[in-house]
Amino acid sequence: MTEVLVLARKELTDLRRNRFMVVLFVFLAIAVVLSVVVAAADFRLKIAGYNHYVDALTAAGSAATAPAPQLFPLQMLRGGIEYLEIIGSLFAVVLGYSIITKEKGRGTLQLIFSRPLGRYAFATGKILSLALLWTVTVTGLFLVITATLLLVGNAPLQGGDYLRLGLAAAHTIGYLIMWSLLAMALSSLTRRTGTGLILALVLWLIVVLIIPQIGDTMDPDNQIPGGLFASLQVDKSHEQAVMAHFTGYETTRDLIEQTSVTKHYERATFAYLGIKNDYNQKSLGFIWAGTFNNTLWLLAGLITSIGVARLAGTQKIILRKVP
Amino acid sequence: MSDYAISTTALTKRYGAKQALNELTLSVPVGEIFGLLGHNGAGKTTIVNILTTLLEPSSGTAVVGGHDIGTAANQVRRTIGYLPENVQFYDNLTLGENLMFFARLSGVHQPGRRIGEVLGFLDFTGHESQRMGTFSKGMRQRAGIAQAILHEPSVLFLDEPTSGLDPQGVAKLREIIIDLNTELGMTIFMNTHLLAEVTKTCTSIGILSSGTLIYQDSVAATLASFPDQDSLEDIYLHIEAGQRP
Repeated sequence: MTEVLVLARKELTDLRRNRFMVVLFVFLAIAVVLSVVVAAADFRLKIAGYNHYVDALTAAGSAATAPAPQLFPLQMLRGGIEYLEIIGSLFAVVLGYSIITKEKGRGTLQLIFSRPLGRYAFATGKILSLALLWTVTVTGLFLVITATLLLVGNAPLQGGDYLRLGLAAAHTIGYLIMWSLLAMALSSLTRRTGTGLILALVLWLIVVLIIPQIGDTMDPDNQIPGGLFASLQVDKSHEQAVMAHFTGYETTRDLIEQTSVTKHYERATFAYLGIKNDYNQKSLGFIWAGTFNNTLWLLAGLITSIGVARLAGTQKIILRKVP
Repeated sequence: MSDYAISTTALTKRYGAKQALNELTLSVPVGEIFGLLGHNGAGKTTIVNILTTLLEPSSGTAVVGGHDIGTAANQVRRTIGYLPENVQFYDNLTLGENLMFFARLSGVHQPGRRIGEVLGFLDFTGHESQRMGTFSKGMRQRAGIAQAILHEPSVLFLDEPTSGLDPQGVAKLREIIIDLNTELGMTIFMNTHLLAEVTKTCTSIGILSSGTLIYQDSVAATLASFPDQDSLEDIYLHIEAGQRP
C-alpha cells in the first residue's frame, strides 16, 4: 500500500507542475463559470421582461395576472454540466492518456519496475492520483459555481440545493474519473501510444457525441433543430398521433441512449439540479427513484474502468511496448 | 549466498522468430566489475533487462544476488540497482524529489538521510532543489547512479553508462564505478561499447555475439592470452572474428 501512495503522491506533484494540464483545467473552469454567469444574466433578463410586462398590464388597468416565468437557480448549471459532459470528458481522456504516455516516453518505467512493487501497485497509484485529482478539481469547481450562483446569480439557495449540488458533483467526479481511466487503460494496452489516444477519442466520440445526438434527434419531446419531427414539420398534436402507431419507437430510442454512459450522467445530474422539468422541485427520494438506474450505470462504468485500468497497468503489459 | 552474484543457465529470449539470446550461461563472481561487450543488437540490453526482472526469459534460469529471477523477482529487485541507458527522470520534479520518490519506492528507511549520504558519496551535493529538466547529460548520469544505489544494492547493473558523456564525464563515472566496487563492495555488471574504458574499469569481461556468449575471462587473463594484440579493442575484434588465443 505504501508504494501506491508514493506513486500517487509523485503523480500529483508532477501534474501540478505540468503547465499544459494547468491551462486545460483553468480553461475548463472558466468555461463552466462563464456559462453560469451567462445563464444568470439570461435569468435576470427574463425576470426584467416579466416585471416590465406586469407593469405594462397594471398601467393599462388590466386585472389579469400573467404567469411568472418558472426559473429555478440550479437550472443555471445546464450549460456548465454540458461543458463538463463534453469538454470535461475530453480533458479527462487527454489526462488519462498522458499519465501513461509520459512514463513510456521518458523511459522512467524501467526505473519504477526495477523496484520491489506489487503487481498492481503501479496502476493503482495512477488510478488513485487521477481519482484524487478529479475529486479535488471538481469539488473546487462546484464551490466556485456555488459562489457564482450566490454572488452573480443572486440565487436564494437552501439546504436541499446544496445537497443537490453535492450529488451532481459526485456524479461528475465519477464520470470524469471513468474517462481518464479508460484512456489510461487504452494507452497501457496499445503498442503505440498514439494508437491508444486515437482509440480513446473514437470511444469518446461515439459515447459522448454520436449516441446522445442520435437519441436527441429521435426525441419527440425535444423538437430540436434537426430533430426527427421538427425536420418533418410535424407539430405536437400530430406527433402524438404518429407515435401511437409506433409503440416501440420510444423504447428503441431509450435503448440507444442507454448505451451511452454520458447520457446516464446527463439524466442523473439534470434530474438532481432540476434542469429536467419532470424532476423540478421534486424530493430527492422521487428523483432517486426515477434516476437510480442512471447512477448505477455510471457506477458500473466507473468500476469497469477501474478494473480495466488496473489489469492493463501491469509491468508485463506496459513494458512489452517499450522499445 | 553463493560465490556468484549473477549466474545464468541456458537463458534464452525469443521475439517471435528472432532469437535475441541463445542459451546463455554465464557466472559473475561476487565483487567483480564485469563488462559485457558486443556489437549493436547482440543482446546486451536484453540480458540486462532479464537480470533486472524487467523482461521474462523465454526459457532458462538466472539467479541474481542469491534469488531466482523467475520465482523471487521482488527479492532480486531489493538486491539490485539499475541504471538504464539514457536514464530519464521526472523533469518537473527536483533532484531531491526524484530521489525521494525512488528511495520510498525501494523501501529505504530514513530516505532523507540516505539521499544526503549518496549525494555526498557521489560528490553531487547542492543540486537537490534544482529541477531535473535543467540537468546536463553528465548530471543526469550521476543522478541515475544515485537512484540506483539509494537502497544499498549488492549488485549494480549499468547499461551503457558512458553513452553520450564527454571525456571528463567518462573519467568521473569511471572513478565512481571503481569506488562503488572497492568502497561499497558492489558487484557491477555493465554493458559498454567503450573498450578502452573496459580495460580501465572492469575486472572481467564477456563477449556476446548474436545472443551467444562467445568469450568470458578476466581482463588480465584476456590481455595475457593475446600478447600479439595492442589493445582490448584488437582482442575483441579477433574474438568476434572467431579467433581464439
